[in-house]
Amino acid sequence: MTTIYIAIGFFALAALLGMYLLSFVLRGKETPKAIVFTHGPLAAIGIILLIVYILKGGPNPWESLVLFVLAALGGIYMVFRDLTGKPIPRLLAVGHGLLAVTGFVLLLVFALNG
Amino acid sequence: MKTQSFWEVTTPHRPEFPELEGNLDVDVAIIGGGITGITTALQLTDAGRSVAVLEARRVGGGTTGWSTGNLYVPTGAYYHKIQGSRDAETITSVAAARRSALDFIEQQTVQKKIDCHFSRRPWYFFTQEKDMVSTIEKEVEALQRAGMPVTFVDDIPLLPRARFQKAARMDGQARFHPLRYVLGIATDIASRGCQVYEHTTVIDLKEEKDHCTIQTNHGTVTCRQVVIATHIPIGIHTVQTVAAPHRSYVIAVKLKSGNYPDAYFWQNDTMHKAITTHSTDSMELDMLMIAGNHHKTGQASHQEYHHYFKELEDYARKHFDVASVEYRWSAQHYRSGDGVPYIGLTHKDARRTYIATGFYADGLIYGTVAGILLGDMLVGKENTWLKAFDATRGTNLATAATFVKENVNVAAQYLKDSPFSADAEHLSEISLGEGKVLEMDGEKVAVYRDENNHLHACSAVCTHMKCIVHWNNAENTWDCPCHGSRFMIDGSVIEGPAIANLETKQIDSSNGRLVKDERHHSGQRDLNNPIT
Repeated sequence: MTTIYIAIGFFALAALLGMYLLSFVLRGKETPKAIVFTHGPLAAIGIILLIVYILKGGPNPWESLVLFVLAALGGIYMVFRDLTGKPIPRLLAVGHGLLAVTGFVLLLVFALNG
Repeated sequence: MKTQSFWEVTTPHRPEFPELEGNLDVDVAIIGGGITGITTALQLTDAGRSVAVLEARRVGGGTTGWSTGNLYVPTGAYYHKIQGSRDAETITSVAAARRSALDFIEQQTVQKKIDCHFSRRPWYFFTQEKDMVSTIEKEVEALQRAGMPVTFVDDIPLLPRARFQKAARMDGQARFHPLRYVLGIATDIASRGCQVYEHTTVIDLKEEKDHCTIQTNHGTVTCRQVVIATHIPIGIHTVQTVAAPHRSYVIAVKLKSGNYPDAYFWQNDTMHKAITTHSTDSMELDMLMIAGNHHKTGQASHQEYHHYFKELEDYARKHFDVASVEYRWSAQHYRSGDGVPYIGLTHKDARRTYIATGFYADGLIYGTVAGILLGDMLVGKENTWLKAFDATRGTNLATAATFVKENVNVAAQYLKDSPFSADAEHLSEISLGEGKVLEMDGEKVAVYRDENNHLHACSAVCTHMKCIVHWNNAENTWDCPCHGSRFMIDGSVIEGPAIANLETKQIDSSNGRLVKDERHHSGQRDLNNPIT
């Protein structure tokens, strides 16, 4: 269960930075790239820890993993659009956040019940 | 002292070429009117193709007109290192190509009677440091293996024997006036039907199945083939992951003695210097130039860029009887992963789009090599140099380290773009003639205060791939540390891969805040601000 708690820590940090980034996207401003390239790796570490936990077998939060992976794909797509000069659709940014938050809540529920 | 290229000042009758007006249909469109683009246009015009050259600023006004006017077979990437990352066949091919390009330039100057001071002379390669002797030996051995007539010598015109450790000489190298040469060729091809356009900026380029479409600020060009001869391909391109941008510095000085050695010298010490001599308006030598002090663009180790010129001036005064420093300027070059330029089709699936980049600081000869090679490729003529220069060769194990190093460096530049990190907090911290990046209303803004106390503001976010630009106080430009795009104080593109200008910003002088502009979305570039 320790792995899950560490993963939650990484996801929580990623979420804080993500909300900060979302404020830039919603205001139509350039995102600070140091935050972009910290947010992504933090979330990626969380996903890796989650996979490690799931691979150990037993009851697992696979719904969270699916949601985080979908959110990650959306994030990579947004970074690609951002760096290549294409506008980031606000709906995509909000959707990316909602997917991740849903995954995070499900993960918390799983951890608390465990 | 303001930076000013010697070549620009000593070109008295500069021909003007028109702007593109309306749409155009040609066999080949060439983006960029430097030595690469103009040589390619020459070859294709000679082959009977209809050609249009699209130059964003002035013909020869980019790196060609800001070079050092030396023509030589050796290369700053060093043949022995190229052999290490490639093979012996490659260095033979590269050396043969460079020698042919030098002969080609001489032939053109004679045939077209171009007054560009072309003159053959020797190249010397020497060191004053014991530790660097092995580099001289290895390079001479590699050049000899490549079939070049280079020999060790015991005397060089600059120094007595006791003051250098090892020296080599190769005859038959040359000097010329690069801007006069390129303008001479451009004038010749324009008189023979090649369409040369200045102040015509390409803002989009597409390769279709049976043609290419180029959008410019003045019209659309449709063509069967396109050559991107812009030093580094404009826009986003995979070659930018290995072709690292560097700036180097030059000063031109007058000597009290008037005794200018007729040779080109490379001092291969820890701090590499190139020493050359040129003439202002005749064949008589009257100017000595010293070049060196490379650093990655936008990543100067000294915040005070003037340091680089000062160091060259100190060197000149230590070694020569300097009467006055007449000119000083800086130029950009791109280094390839394996030391050999990338010339040819832009990627493996491309059929109509060609590039030439990664010339190191040896671009006058490599630009000519590219022009000859691309000319052959575009008309379907076989050229044995292609194997060495092929732009689609990708990275091998030897260049993987360069790939990793360059991209880690780029990532590190992105990580500097954090909130609340700026050169200054308030506009009042910017002195007259100074530029600083400020964070205003959550945006990074590049602000320059001119000598009349007027503020010039634009977004500090590079339009190429969103790094934060840095102020270059020697040239009064905004330089991007990631891929080398450079911008003027009004945000207009000077060079590099960026296509769009930096977005202009308005500052409310009453409260020092940005005037709100709702036009832009996060991530979106401003294309509606062409170079004029």
